[in-house]
Amino acid sequence: MTKNLLIALVLVIIIIVGYFIYKQSLSPVTVEPVKIGFIGPLTGDIANIGENLKVALEIARDEINRAGGIKGRQLEIIFEDGQCNPKVAVNAANKLINIDKVPIIIGGLCSSETLAVAPLAEKAKVILFSAASTNPTIGDAGDYVFRNVPSDTFQGVFAAEYVKNTMNLTKVAILKCLSDYCVGVSDVFKTKFQELGGTIVAEESFPQDAKDLRSQLTKIKAANPELIYFVSYTDGSIIGLKQAKELGIKAAFFGADSWSDPKIWQEVGKIGDGALYVEPANKNLPETFITEMNKKTGGKEINAYSPRAYDALKLLASLMIEKGVDPTAIKDALYTVKNYQGIADNYTFDNRGELTEGRYIVKRIQDGKAVEVK
Amino acid sequence: MNVIPQLILNSIIAGSIYSLIAISFSLIYNVTKFFNLAHGVLAIIGGYTVFYFAQILNWNIYIAITFGIVFAGFIGLILDKIIYLPLRRRKASNMILLVASLGIMTALQALLSILFTNEFRTLSRNINEQKIFQLLNGSLTQTQVIIIFVAILITIFIVLLLFKTQFGKAIRAISDDDEVAKIVGINTDKIISYVFFLGSAIAGIAGILMGFDIGIEPTMGLNLLLKGIVAVIIGGIGNVYGSVLGAFVLGFAENFSMWKIAGEWKDAVAFILLIIFLLFKPRGIMNK
Repeated sequence: MTKNLLIALVLVIIIIVGYFIYKQSLSPVTVEPVKIGFIGPLTGDIANIGENLKVALEIARDEINRAGGIKGRQLEIIFEDGQCNPKVAVNAANKLINIDKVPIIIGGLCSSETLAVAPLAEKAKVILFSAASTNPTIGDAGDYVFRNVPSDTFQGVFAAEYVKNTMNLTKVAILKCLSDYCVGVSDVFKTKFQELGGTIVAEESFPQDAKDLRSQLTKIKAANPELIYFVSYTDGSIIGLKQAKELGIKAAFFGADSWSDPKIWQEVGKIGDGALYVEPANKNLPETFITEMNKKTGGKEINAYSPRAYDALKLLASLMIEKGVDPTAIKDALYTVKNYQGIADNYTFDNRGELTEGRYIVKRIQDGKAVEVK
Repeated sequence: MNVIPQLILNSIIAGSIYSLIAISFSLIYNVTKFFNLAHGVLAIIGGYTVFYFAQILNWNIYIAITFGIVFAGFIGLILDKIIYLPLRRRKASNMILLVASLGIMTALQALLSILFTNEFRTLSRNINEQKIFQLLNGSLTQTQVIIIFVAILITIFIVLLLFKTQFGKAIRAISDDDEVAKIVGINTDKIISYVFFLGSAIAGIAGILMGFDIGIEPTMGLNLLLKGIVAVIIGGIGNVYGSVLGAFVLGFAENFSMWKIAGEWKDAVAFILLIIFLLFKPRGIMNK
């Protein structure tokens, strides 16, 4: 009796397995899409910039797919939230690398995300391509780590020269958040500014998520600087600018590229007027890109990085079409890219995966809007 | 320029906020004898209620504030009725109540994130029209003046309540010995639920004031509560004056230490102070 049951069971299993094998051989060969990953802040403090970047990537993806994808395969982006937090970004990267098995990750946005993910990407031989992280040490973070935004070694020097030579100011205070990005750019600024003969009269810092900068600002006020070089992400900047006003600080504010988030200037209103900041110089963007962005974001201002993210995806897609989806082949090809014409800039990579030059513009806040200073 | 006047003002502002949390926390602690970790989140709930009514529904700001205070108190009351009271009836240990409050804190915090996102919000709209007062070389905003006055008023109110009313007498009786209080005919469960309402409402006031002065985000409650607890321990657990004193000692220690060391160590200073007190004066300044 049990013997018969056993035979029946084996037969049933054979029939079921056989059916699936048969069925699979009948169905047409499906073309798997090419999946790549994205890590950037989609919630929290810097979500405004992250969301804008995401839209630009979606536009690039749709254009690539409309033009035939990657050799007939559709391009798919898996968006993961890095929250501008190294721990969260590492979790996202582990998921993208181990589960989704992506050959390329675009991101992170914050330098702390990129620096935290870089060792994982390097070990798994996955390309990590940032369109927004500017910390100077990213160039040395790995062979597979690239970016198409200039390193802050350029920005810090540019800002120091601008303050010292163009604005003719010599007494500067530094207020910075304690993230890889803020510390990186303000250190370059400090060294260059002192080299040019300027004096740093005070240097204060605060944790990235601090909500009360009064003690720091009180000390800065006492040092009586002509200008405050204030490097912080969105929330810290809003709080700092408001509290500086409350404490009656009259010195001018000068910021770095993290201030290209329009949310800051909407939130602080008139207080922001007269503040200056530096951001990477982009070419005049094509009308089609601007219209598409406006359509998808409901007319939100396009930040300095979104067109660079668009360029990054377009460049990587063209290399994937040419070399296939093997990360090592793409990596080797990236090092040979010379004068690639993007919509934001022309890109040439050096042997550290960095752009060979960085050009910047200065913007001034007027009535809650950033206007380029000519 | 001299920084001392401004540092004193900053210390007083911080101390005022801490004192509101410390007083309300110790009020609840005295009658229940457990560390209610959900207390900080109730402050933030108060802030978000005002945010919701004043900025999303555009109600009158004073109505929104009243609503925020009452709502925070109401949530405190509900938590006592549906969670803490049944646990107490079952004679659950303080450890279980503490773990329950930790769970409530996490759940409420998540709920706030879902409803309002993790974005940092400020309650004050027209910061440009905010009056700024100059005082001996330091400056103080209108909101901050209100914070200081509210802290003083609440302290006076609580002292009068505890020492001049029948209700206060009952609270003190329960805090001395709740079994004896029961025997002499005090309805302890009822008194405790009123204390939860009152304490949570005061926490709500603190959260609202902070929302106007700095801003609020869902995850801020725990840090705020920890500062309140540090203040209570420094001042002496179970003593109203001690809580207020502890709050200002903490405020001054935090802000004046920034004079000589970098601002990033503010939280470290608070907890080093806590450890020093736990080691050398565990019963606090006011308790003998």
